[in-house]
Formats: sequence, C-alpha cells, structure tokens
Amino acid sequence: MIAILNAYRYRMLIPVNRTTRVLAGLTAALLLALVWAAASGALGISLWEVLRGQEDPFSVQVWWQLRLPRLLLGVAVGAMLAGSGAAMQGLFRNPLADPTLLGLASGAGLFVALWIVFFQDSGAGSLYGQFAAGFLGALCVCLIVFGIAKRQGGGSAAVMTLLLAGLAINTLAGAGGGVLAFIASDEQLRQLSLWGMGTLTNALWRTTALALVLIAAALWLLMRSARELDLLQLGEATAHAAGLDASRLKHRVVVATSLGVGLCVALTGVIGFLGLLVPHCLRLWLGPSHRLLLPASMLGGALLLVVADTLARTIAAPAEIPVGLLTSLLGGPYFLYLLMRRNRAC
Amino acid sequence: MLTLHQAGLTNTPAIAPLDGTIRPGELLAIVGPNGAGKSTLLSMLSGFRSAEQGELHLDGKPLRAWPITELANRRALVAQQELPGFDWQTNELLSLGSNPSKSLVAALLDDLDITHLAKRSVLSLSGGERQRVMIARGACQLLSRCSPTAKEGGILLLDEPTSALDIGQQQRLMRQLRSWATQHHMAIVCVLHDLNLASTYADRVWLLHQGQRIDHGLPNQVLNPATIAKIYAAELQRIEGGTHGKPLLALAP
Repeated sequence: MIAILNAYRYRMLIPVNRTTRVLAGLTAALLLALVWAAASGALGISLWEVLRGQEDPFSVQVWWQLRLPRLLLGVAVGAMLAGSGAAMQGLFRNPLADPTLLGLASGAGLFVALWIVFFQDSGAGSLYGQFAAGFLGALCVCLIVFGIAKRQGGGSAAVMTLLLAGLAINTLAGAGGGVLAFIASDEQLRQLSLWGMGTLTNALWRTTALALVLIAAALWLLMRSARELDLLQLGEATAHAAGLDASRLKHRVVVATSLGVGLCVALTGVIGFLGLLVPHCLRLWLGPSHRLLLPASMLGGALLLVVADTLARTIAAPAEIPVGLLTSLLGGPYFLYLLMRRNRAC
Repeated sequence: MLTLHQAGLTNTPAIAPLDGTIRPGELLAIVGPNGAGKSTLLSMLSGFRSAEQGELHLDGKPLRAWPITELANRRALVAQQELPGFDWQTNELLSLGSNPSKSLVAALLDDLDITHLAKRSVLSLSGGERQRVMIARGACQLLSRCSPTAKEGGILLLDEPTSALDIGQQQRLMRQLRSWATQHHMAIVCVLHDLNLASTYADRVWLLHQGQRIDHGLPNQVLNPATIAKIYAAELQRIEGGTHGKPLLALAP
C-alpha cells in the first residue's frame, strides 16, 4: 500500500516532461494569485479568518457572495478569452487574430445591448436571454469574418482584409451601441454603461454558476481541437492529406469561441486584448504547438485577468477601475509594438 | 495502388476524364505548361478535391469512401512552397501528422541532408532547405503510419519538389525519391517542370495540357521534341545519348 502511494507520489513530484512542468508552474502561479486576490479588496477581509469562521458575518457574506464568484468568473473569462484567442490565431494561421480585434466581442456586445434595450423584461429569463444574445452576436460576426477569409484565401492580403473587417465591425457595433444608448431609457442606460466598460463587478452566483459550466464546455471543445489545429498549420490541402477534417475543426472552434466569448461579453462587457496578448507571449516562450499553447494560454489568461482585476479593485480603493480599461491600456501598446515589429521584418 | 476510372473535374479548373494506374514502387512524373492543371490533378489524386466525374480507387476501395484519418496512412501530400503557420522547429514539424520514432526522424533528416537543421526554426530556413524539410515531413507521415507488414509503402504526392533546389540538391532528391520508391514500395507522384529530370528519373510520364492528359507512357516516348515544342510554345533541341542513353531536351538559342 505504502509502495503504491510512494510510486504515485513520486510520479506526481517528478515532472514528466516540459508540458507537465509548464502547466504545473502556471497552475501554481494561478493558485497563488487566487489566494492573494481572495485576501485583497476594498474591505479588509482576512481569508484565514473567513475559512476558520472567525470573521464577522457581514464580511463572511461579502466574501462568499461577492468576492468568491468574482474570482471564479475572472478565472473563467480570462481562460476563455485567452484560449479562444489562441484557437483563432491557429485557425487563421495568424498571430494577430483575436476575438476583440476581429469584432467578435463588440458584435456580441451589440446584440446584448439590443437585448437590454428592446427585449429584456424583468423576469428571471432575462439573464439567459442576455447569454443567448451574446452567443448569437459573436456567432454572426464569426460567420461574416469567415466568409471574408474564405473569399480571400491565404496570404498577407487576407490578413489585412480580416483586420479591416474587424475594424469595420467594431466601428459599426460602436455606432449601433451609440444609437441604442440614445434611445434607451434612463434605467437601461445605467445598466448599459455599467456593463459595457468591461468589468467583473456583476458576478453573482446565479449567473456565474451557469457561465462556469458553459465556459468549461467551450474550453473542453477547444482543448479537443489542439492536435488538429497543429495539423492545420501545414496548409489546408497538406493537412487534409495528413488526416485533418478542416471543416469539422472550423465548425467546432467557431461554435466554441462564439459560445465562450459571447457569454464572457454578456457577463462582463468587452475585456480587450487578453486573447491577443497571452497566446502571443506564451508562443514566444513555448513554441507554436497547440497541445501546450492552448492549456497554457487558458491558465495564463486566467492568471492575468485575476491579477488585473485585483489591481483594478485595489489601486484606487474604495473606487474601482473597470478591468477592461486596464487590459486595454496594457494590450493596446503591445499590439502597436507587434505591428511595428512586423513591418520591420517585411 | 491508385486507379483512375474516367476520373475528372468539371468545375474550373477542370480536368478531362482520364484512366490510369499508379503502382507501388514507381516514380510517376506529371509535366505540362503553366496552368495545365498539374496541381489540380494532384489534389484530385490526393482526394482533397473529390472527382466530379468517374471514380478513383485506392486499394480497390473508392477514394471518397476512405475515412480521412485512414487515408492519411496511405498517402501524403507536399504542396507547393507553402509557409507553415507559426514558427516550428524542423524536428517538431516533421512529426506533424504522425508519431514517428526518433530513429525514423534521424534517418529522414539524413536522407535529405538536413540533419544540421533539426533544431532550426522553419521560417528561418532558406527556400530550398524548407522545401526539403516539407518533403521529409511527407515521407515521415507515410513511413511512420504505414503498417510495417504492408506490402505497399503508400503514395507520396509532391508538387514541384525541386523548384527551390540547386542542381546538386535536385539530383540528391530525385535519387532519394527513387530509393524510397524501391526500398519502401512507395508510389511517388511528382509534378515537375524540369523535363530532363523527368526523363532521367521517372518511370513514366503524364503530359498535361489545358486540363487534358494528352500523352502518357515512358519518358523517351512522351518527351519528344515535336510535341513538347508545340505544347510549351518553345524551340527545342533534342540531345541524344544523355545519361543512360536517355534523351535530353535543351532550349534552342
């Protein structure tokens, strides 16, 4: 018995290969970040006291009902945005693809805003309506972008067209949002602006629980595509000959990213650049294979969002900076840097 | 063994229906002017574009009835000069599409004279180096996925495998292809622009023009100056008594 336990222990202790090492390291970092995040906030709550049941009831309530779901939502949204960024970059065979840049997020945002302004009633179904609207919006944009990509074929011209299409969709969605804000009632307007800036503030168990399940499903679908995404990098004809059913792969990735990103946007608004930043940095470190890159991006995205959100909560406490602003401030310059470096290489 | 029964494509680019057999152990060259449909024919042979007329059979079973993953055990494709997405190491790239043993990878790297590039990133290689890496990947897929007991080594489809190679590398590659064909009973189909390479190394030649196969057979029958000059709109001289008595074609000054 002890021998078995020991064997098990040593197998767990000695990292088998680089993949295990990297993923274990990222998981550990994420757990540390979670502990730090769970113990920080506007309200000085001691994590230790909460777990021991020694904290006062109000603090305990705040921790369980506000902070914990927020942490979990941060993990899920961060993992989803970065994971879908990695998957889309693989699908388009291009490091600049990203749910925000291609307009998926703003498309989802527009549909959610439409839902809030025109269809929402105060019933319990309203929440799930918002989910569905986000999913539909992301799916629509995904199909448009794919249609354009298909017509363009490969090559660098196609990349420019994709980014321009994303720009057009982003602008259009922005304008649509403006129109909606104009015709919205005061109450709706308040809701729109609270949600639209990209923040994890709205995390409640009621929404978070369902979102966690659906996002986990989307992440699982993406993980199942890792090997096939690797194959796709050979080019479609060669990959087909190597055993890849490209259309099945595309459908799966499109459904998973639309579902996941749509949900994220419905819950948190647009949190930009995570999907660009995380996979890109990790690819420089880990190489292009999606078998490692996808799970590492998910962990890395979760880590980055949890850290960014904790900073957003605490820098200006008791006030709170929308975390979307923070990630955009981080990601925007990095994206510009990428573009400049690419141009020099050409 | 791949057999074509009046197989063709009707949508542009079209391929007129043709019959034919591609046997294990042989090297078949597909030649023809630019835009003749060589790459399109290759993608039909690969099953990437399924035949719109007639039928292709691989080992007696219709090509379209093969599951994609099983088909990958029997044939591999090396497309024309396509850059892989992202920056793979040569080693990693070789094992895309299969799970090769270390010794197989080492042997293939050695076969194609790219052992020194094993740890290099593929995007940093020169065109000719990268071309040999991609060919090694195709061979790797077949050799590691074909069952060792199989009498046939599968079909390797190569689109202009020598386009970026210097003459020394062209010779080494063509010799290597011949040796794979005999050693592993592999059928090798090459789209070639250099007619003299086709004449020197191919067992048989298919000559394509405007989507039609206008001639096929032994290289010295198909590659006669009169036909070639007409099809390519070029002035040619035939030089007799090339290597092994095979005729060579040269451009007239």
